[in-house]
Amino acid sequence: MAPLLSVRDLAVQFKTRKSTVRAVNGISFDLEAGETLGIVGESGCGKSVSALAMLGILPKAGRVTRGEVLFEDVDLLKLPDSQLRQIRGNDIAMIFQDPMTSLNPVLTVGRQITEALRKHLGMSKDEAHNEAVTLLDRVGIPAAKDRIGDYPHQFSGGMRQRVMIAMAISCRPKILIADEPTTALDVTIQAQILEVLKQLVAEENMALILITHDLGVVAGTCGRTNVMYAGRFVESAPTRKLFAKPRHPYTLGLLKSVPRLDAARKEKLQPIGGTPLSMTSEMEGCAFAPRCIYATEESRTKTPELRRIESDDHLVACWNPVQEQDMPRIEIVAARDEGVAG
Amino acid sequence: MLNYALRRALLTIPILVGLSIIVFAFVRALPGGPEDALLGERGTDEQEAQIREELGLNKPIYVQYGLYMKNVLSGNLGVSSNTRQPITEELKLRFPATFELAIAAMLFAILIGVPLGFIAAKRYQGVLDNASLILSLIGISFPVFFLALLLKYVFAIKLGLLPTIGRLDITRSLEHPTNFYVLDSIIAGDPAALWDTLRHLVLPAVALGTIPLAIIARVTRAAVLDVTSADYVRTAKAKGLDPRVVDRRHILKNAMLPVITIVGLWAGLLLTGAVLTETVFAWPGVGSWMLEAIRFRDYAVLQGGILFFAVLIVFVNLLVDISYAFLDPRIRYQ
Amino acid sequence: MSIAEAEVQELKLEQPSSLGRDALDRFRHNKAAMVGVVVILLLVLIAIFAPLIAPYGPGEQVGPLDSSNPEGPSSEHWMGLDEQGRDEFSRIVYGARLSLLVGLVSVAFGLSFGLLLGALAGYFGGWIETIIMRSMDIMLAIPALLLAIGLVSLLGRGLTQIMIAVGITTIPIFARLLRGSILAQRESDYVLAARSLGVPGGRLLMVHILPNALAPLIVQATLAMAVAIIDVAGLSFLGLGPAEPGLPEWGKMLADNASRIDRATHLVIFPGAAIVISVLGLNLIGDGLRESIDPKLRS
Repeated sequence: MAPLLSVRDLAVQFKTRKSTVRAVNGISFDLEAGETLGIVGESGCGKSVSALAMLGILPKAGRVTRGEVLFEDVDLLKLPDSQLRQIRGNDIAMIFQDPMTSLNPVLTVGRQITEALRKHLGMSKDEAHNEAVTLLDRVGIPAAKDRIGDYPHQFSGGMRQRVMIAMAISCRPKILIADEPTTALDVTIQAQILEVLKQLVAEENMALILITHDLGVVAGTCGRTNVMYAGRFVESAPTRKLFAKPRHPYTLGLLKSVPRLDAARKEKLQPIGGTPLSMTSEMEGCAFAPRCIYATEESRTKTPELRRIESDDHLVACWNPVQEQDMPRIEIVAARDEGVAG
Repeated sequence: MLNYALRRALLTIPILVGLSIIVFAFVRALPGGPEDALLGERGTDEQEAQIREELGLNKPIYVQYGLYMKNVLSGNLGVSSNTRQPITEELKLRFPATFELAIAAMLFAILIGVPLGFIAAKRYQGVLDNASLILSLIGISFPVFFLALLLKYVFAIKLGLLPTIGRLDITRSLEHPTNFYVLDSIIAGDPAALWDTLRHLVLPAVALGTIPLAIIARVTRAAVLDVTSADYVRTAKAKGLDPRVVDRRHILKNAMLPVITIVGLWAGLLLTGAVLTETVFAWPGVGSWMLEAIRFRDYAVLQGGILFFAVLIVFVNLLVDISYAFLDPRIRYQ
Repeated sequence: MSIAEAEVQELKLEQPSSLGRDALDRFRHNKAAMVGVVVILLLVLIAIFAPLIAPYGPGEQVGPLDSSNPEGPSSEHWMGLDEQGRDEFSRIVYGARLSLLVGLVSVAFGLSFGLLLGALAGYFGGWIETIIMRSMDIMLAIPALLLAIGLVSLLGRGLTQIMIAVGITTIPIFARLLRGSILAQRESDYVLAARSLGVPGGRLLMVHILPNALAPLIVQATLAMAVAIIDVAGLSFLGLGPAEPGLPEWGKMLADNASRIDRATHLVIFPGAAIVISVLGLNLIGDGLRESIDPKLRS
């Protein structure tokens, strides 16, 4: 069966007055119904931009330069906006990083939820109202009936994000894209929000694309994780395997630079040397090479492609994948539930 | 919300008191003393003595101020030294004329300025955008009276399309229950009069409203630009909403907030403009009244007029404050 | 430049930068602002070299007095003659001096007192601040022109008094600006740091706070000059202009001929255009400056 979503060689550019920035340099992935996919990378690596490109809501200066985004066998990139609008918010929904600025301050929360319901599902005002209350309840907002007439600024950060989620799932989308949903929140709230998301995935068989720079977030939530660097995927694997046996030096570096509770106190954190790539220049060779401790001449001159390593579900784009002895072997400890699928 | 309104209203009191003191002091500071000022040169000795009694000019200054405030608050603004008519009566005739003009000017400015600013923002850096910017800059660089003169010259004198002066054709008669000519002609069921009134309103309203139009267009444009790049607009788009809905419900609703604050500034702008425009078009409003008062050194009228204006402006600002809270829920629930 | 920078720039989230090479650079590239600079520069040059540019003196009579039908533009008198038989072109040229003088002096006056009051309010706080700021609020409640009218009635109609009157109307704007700046900076980290090191208040004000408040002040000063020129012209139009006879004040020249607009259109158009152009130049500069400081208001 064809996957629900199939992205092939998507590339996005931004034209500013001074230069052209290559934000996304050809990414490809498949997404099955009900699957949770994590996309991990530093800020500026192009992960958010990819999501915006898929939905057709890039800022004015952005352009898709090549690629396909096949949703249920239809290429979204070729659809006119009027048809894309039927899909946005309806079949594919998105939530964003900062719930304070991402919600309209002068509309009630209820209004912002019923908007989508009335547009996509054709509900009447009352039907939509009731459904909105149900949704708020579902995402865990107490006294939903009373709060539906409240404005965004009357909610706390975590609550606002729940409102965003309620808004996004209102039309029962097949895919939910969550762009850094927990970054603006406190750690304890983060866990709650991720729980909400996981629950919804299970209940609705909704596919989830979770975009984040935080490895801890994908560890507990995503079945599969893609690591992105400089606009490309450099590694793709089931999350458990990624943490246990990372093959790309960048992934290794990311894992090593996260402080761990079970590390010895004297053990130093190892940040990745160098700075993220400037995305304007056309590059030969591996984009990570300048910061890579394993880099060779080949890395600098030939651009590596994603290739299978070890097993069918583990891909890496590297000429010198990480060796066994260097692997940190991080085991993902399951949280309250039975853990991560895959 | 009522709470908020009350609080804001209370805050205006010190300003109003301050204003009354200033106006009070102003007349007292004029060369020649208040008797000369308020009576004019034609005052007889008798009248001067009477005024001294009335105003308590022999009494200490704070008593004088008290008497003054008592008069003002009971609606007695004194008598014009020029016409010997009570000022409040004259005000009742003059104010509607200016008010009508001001409303016409505001409508002109809003109905053209807001869409202009909106479209300019939507076509950011397009031809219309740049043109509107240049035009609005030119607009605020024009002295009102120059613009009024030019308009009068071109449209009334040279082209003869519109009347040159006044509110109504001299030969036409109309009952004036409200003294708002537009309303009066509607009440009287006289369409010809209505048309005539409107024709007379056009030029002065355009002259008066041009600067506010320029300002509104710029502020709207800036606000729309600001809002369009906001995250919640991105969210609205991500929900698959119709672009027109996004424009209306998400962009405009938020962009209008700063525009409304600007409206508060208008009261002052329109008043100043009125003084200048009414002269050019012989419009019998408060503006030209003030001008005559200046020319004829009718300080009683000036005193009453300035006080009236200032109070009006303070109230308009208060209204704007309150309506802002009404529109922006963030302020309401402070 | 990385994606983050590109995205940020496009989404207009840039922080305002202070007056510096960056801002000057942006200013230089702003075409409209440059036009303004050229205009004002020309104005200044005309004002300075007036005697060399104008063929006649501003009061020199070359035609009939009290003419009801003043001569229009000709090859001999580029802008025609005015109602008192004087060369209009020369009067316009000399008028530039007057307008510039008026603009500069009133704003300089308003600026000095405004800054003083603002500094006092900001520095001392407490009831001093309250009194000063409330007074400023009251002054602002009265529209500038009306306030000027009142002041001129009190002070008299000389040129100096008018400049002072108009200057006074600008005081509250500057006072508020400076005090606002001081308030904002008083709580900022670097000021707290300086104070904890024992830097005395006065020095703090001069060396740290004032330079940061400078940028908006300059913008406001430019715009205030534009308004001053318009207000003085307005005063003249209302009959409250400088009493000194024969002064080539553009507003007065316009006002004197308002009733003759059909017979002596040139005597209304030229002074009016002169006012518009000068004010436009100042507005363009002020606007351009404002944008170079805060790119969010980009045009």
